[in-house]
Amino acid sequence: MEIRIKNLTKVFPGNPKKGIPDTRAVDDLNILVPDGELVGLLGPSGCGKSTTLYMIAGLLEPSDGEIWFGDEDVTDLEPEKRGIGLVFQNYALYPHMTVYKNVAFPLTNLRIQEPVLDENGNPVLDVDGNPEIKKRKLTKDEIDKIVRETSKIVQIEQYLERKPNQLSGGQQQRVAIARALVKKPKVLLLDEPLSNLDARLRLQTREEIRHIQQSTGITTVFVTHDQEEAMSISDKIVVMKLGVKQQEGVPQDVYNNPCNKFVANFLGTPPINLFAGRIQGGKVYIGEDCVREITPEEMEQAKAEGRNLSDQDVTVGIRPEGIVIDDNAKPNFHFKVDRILTMGRDIMLMSDQEFRLSDTKFVIDAFTKVSVGEVQAQVKPHKCLVFSLEEGEPRLV
Amino acid sequence: MANEVSKPKRRFNILSIFRRKERVSADAGERNNWKAWLYLAPTIILMAVFTFYPLINTIVIAFLKNYDYISQVHEGFTMENFGVVLGLVGRSEMMNADGIYESIFRWNCTRFESDGVVGIYLNSEGVVSRAYFTMNVIRYAFPNTLLITFITVPLSIIIALLISIGLNSIPAFKKFFQTIFFIPYVTNAIAVGMVFAVLFDYKGILNYLLGLGTLTWIDQAAPAWRGMIALCVYIIWHSLPFKILIFLSGLQNIDKQYYDAAKIDCAGKMKTMLNVTVPLLSPQILYIMITSFIGSFKEYTSVVGLFGQQGTSPGSYNMYTVVYYIYDMVNSNVQYGAAAAVLLFLVIMLFTAIQFKVSKTRVHY
Ligand SMILES: Nc1ncnc2c1ncn2[C@@H]1O[C@H](COP(=O)(O)OP(=O)(O)OP(=O)(O)O)[C@@H](O)[C@H]1O
Ligand SMILES: [Mg+2]
Repeated sequence: MEIRIKNLTKVFPGNPKKGIPDTRAVDDLNILVPDGELVGLLGPSGCGKSTTLYMIAGLLEPSDGEIWFGDEDVTDLEPEKRGIGLVFQNYALYPHMTVYKNVAFPLTNLRIQEPVLDENGNPVLDVDGNPEIKKRKLTKDEIDKIVRETSKIVQIEQYLERKPNQLSGGQQQRVAIARALVKKPKVLLLDEPLSNLDARLRLQTREEIRHIQQSTGITTVFVTHDQEEAMSISDKIVVMKLGVKQQEGVPQDVYNNPCNKFVANFLGTPPINLFAGRIQGGKVYIGEDCVREITPEEMEQAKAEGRNLSDQDVTVGIRPEGIVIDDNAKPNFHFKVDRILTMGRDIMLMSDQEFRLSDTKFVIDAFTKVSVGEVQAQVKPHKCLVFSLEEGEPRLV
Repeated sequence: MANEVSKPKRRFNILSIFRRKERVSADAGERNNWKAWLYLAPTIILMAVFTFYPLINTIVIAFLKNYDYISQVHEGFTMENFGVVLGLVGRSEMMNADGIYESIFRWNCTRFESDGVVGIYLNSEGVVSRAYFTMNVIRYAFPNTLLITFITVPLSIIIALLISIGLNSIPAFKKFFQTIFFIPYVTNAIAVGMVFAVLFDYKGILNYLLGLGTLTWIDQAAPAWRGMIALCVYIIWHSLPFKILIFLSGLQNIDKQYYDAAKIDCAGKMKTMLNVTVPLLSPQILYIMITSFIGSFKEYTSVVGLFGQQGTSPGSYNMYTVVYYIYDMVNSNVQYGAAAAVLLFLVIMLFTAIQFKVSKTRVHY
C-alpha cells in the first residue's frame, strides 16, 4: 500500500512564559512511499525522523498536512485502525511479559474475517448473494504457530520464555521486530531498528529485514541516522535536516548528485573533503590548482536554474574516492600526505592540506604507490562538487 | 608502608563475632563500620526505648497471670490469658475461708456477652461464688475485623486504582483533583468520623438525599450490617488518598511508550489497563495491599470516630474490633490486651506471608 505524505508539519508548542520557543520538528514534509518499497528516512539526530514516523503511525497528531494510505486519508485515524507494525527506537517491549507473550500480544487483539460455512463446507450467502463474513479471534494454536514461525525468522526461538530484561539489546531488538511483524501489517515502520546490534549482526539483520520486506511486499519506512545502512537497504532515501526534507531519491543518485552541501556532507564514509576554493573564468580552483572545469552544459543548466557560476569564492567538495594517483593521469591537485592507513583493499591518505575546511581523507586502491610527502593527483570531475559559501544554498556544480 | 600492611590486623568490630565464616562485605565497608553505628545510634536508641522494649514487654505480659499493671505484681506464667481472649476460659471467683474472693479459671466455659459479674450464687457447700465474664474477641472483635479487612481492602484498592487511572489520563485538572482527593489524608480521623456521623445520622443528610426516611445506620441500635456498611464506607473513603497518591506516582513512572506500543498492537482500553497498566503497577499494588491489610487489622479510630463507642447502641459490642478490644483491656486487664496483641501480630504475620508468597509470581519489579 502506497503511503503519501502531504505538507506534513509538526510543531511542539513551547512555553512563551518561560521563553521556550516552539519546536518545528517536521516542516512541510512531502514524501511518497511507493507500494511495496522500502524508504529510508535519514538525517542527523533530532531532525524529526521519529516524529515523522510517529505521525505516520498515528501516535502523534500532525499540526498540519495529510497522510494517505493508498486511497484512504488516515490523518485522523487512530493507530489501532491503521494496520501498522512499529519497531520503537528503544523497543518498548512489555517488561512484564515473556518474549512469547510480547510477540503473541498483537495477535490476541486481532480479529480475522472469515466466510461463514454451512455444514457441507460451502459459504453461506446473505440476501444480496454475497458470502457472509464473520469476525473471530485467533485460536491459541493459530497464535502459537504464527509466533513460532516469526520467532524463527528473527532467530529468537530459544529465548521465548525469557523476560525482556534477560535479553541483550540486540535480542530485544529482534523481539521488537518480531512483534511488529506477527500481525502481517500493511505498513511497517522501523525506528532505528539496528542501532544496538554489533556490526556483524547488524549486517545480517539488515539483510533479513530487506528479505522479509521484499518477500512479503510490506511497504516500509526505515528510520536511521546511519547513511550507509540507509543507502544499502533502501529503494529510496529521504534526507532530512531540522525537520525539512533536503532531498529524496534512489540512494546512488542522491550520493552522486547531492542537492546541497549538507546532503553531500551527510552521505558517505568517510565524509566528503571540503576545501576553500573559487570559481574563476569557468574553472574551479583550490589554491593554484585547477581541480575541475565547468562544462558548457553545466553552465547552461545552471543558468536555466538560476544558479550563479560567475567568479566567486566557493566551497569545493571532493569525495574521498575522487582522486586518481597515476603516472598516466595528468595531475591537477597537489597535497601533502601526512599519514597512510592501509585498510585491506584500500589505503587511506590523511592530509593537512592548507585549504582544507574539514579533515582531509582520500581513499585509493591498495596497489597505488604513494608515500608520505608531496603527492600529485588527478581529481575525477564527477566526484568534485562545488557549493556556494552560503549555508543551505543549492549546489552550484 | 609497614604501617599499612599491619593495618588489617587491628581492625575489629563487635559484629565480626557474629560473622563467623562469611567475609563478604568489602574492606572499605568494614573500616567505616563504627561510623555507621554512630550515625544509627540515635535511631537505635529511640527504637530500643519506644519499640523493642514495649514489644518484648508486651509478649512477656501476655504470659503473666493476674498481672497488675500499677504494682507490677503477678502470679507466675500462664497460657490462660490467651484462653480468655479467645473465649475458651471463663473466670469465677470463690470466697475462701477468710471471706476473700479467689479467682478460679475454667476452660470450656459458656460464653457471655458482656463484661463483668454475671452471677452470684451459693454452691452446695454454702460458699458464695460469683462468675465473671471477661470480653473475648471471638464473638465480635475478630469477625468484625476480618469483615472490615476483606471488604475494605479489595474495594478501596480497586476504587483507588480506577480513580488514579482516571486522574492520570486527564491532564487538564490533574493537579486540582489530586489535591481534592488528598484532603481526607490530612484531616483528622476522629473529626472526619464526626462528620460522617452527621451524614449517617438517622435524621441525617444521607437518608434525606436517598429518601430513606429515618433509617438508622450508626445509632439508635441500628442493625450490625448497616453499621458495618457505614463503617466500611468511612474506612474506604479515608484510606483512598494515600492509595491514590502511591498509584499516581506509580502510574507517572510507567513509560508512555508501553501505551503507544499497546495502541500499535491494537489493544483496547480495557485490555491495555489489565495487560499493561496493572502489571506495571504491581509493585505499588502489592505494597498497598500489604500495608492496608495490616492497617485494617488495626482498625480502631474509625469505630471511635463514627460510633463513639463499641457498637450502634450503648453497651452493644457489635462494632467491636480487635484493637478496640486491646485498648479496652489496657485499662482493666492489661495481660489480656497483651495476649490479644500477640495473637493479632501472629495473624498479621500469617496474612502478610501468604500475600508475599502468592504475589511472588504475579508482581513484576
Ligand atoms: N514531545 C516533544 N516535545 C517537544 N519537542 C519534541 C518532542 N518530541 C520531539 N521533540 C523535538 O523534535 C525534534 C525532532 O525529534 P525526533 O525525535 O523526531 O528526532 P529524531 O530525528 O528521531 O532524532 P534521533 O535520531 O536522535 O532519534 C527534536 O528537536 C526534539 O527535541
Ligand atoms: Mg528518533
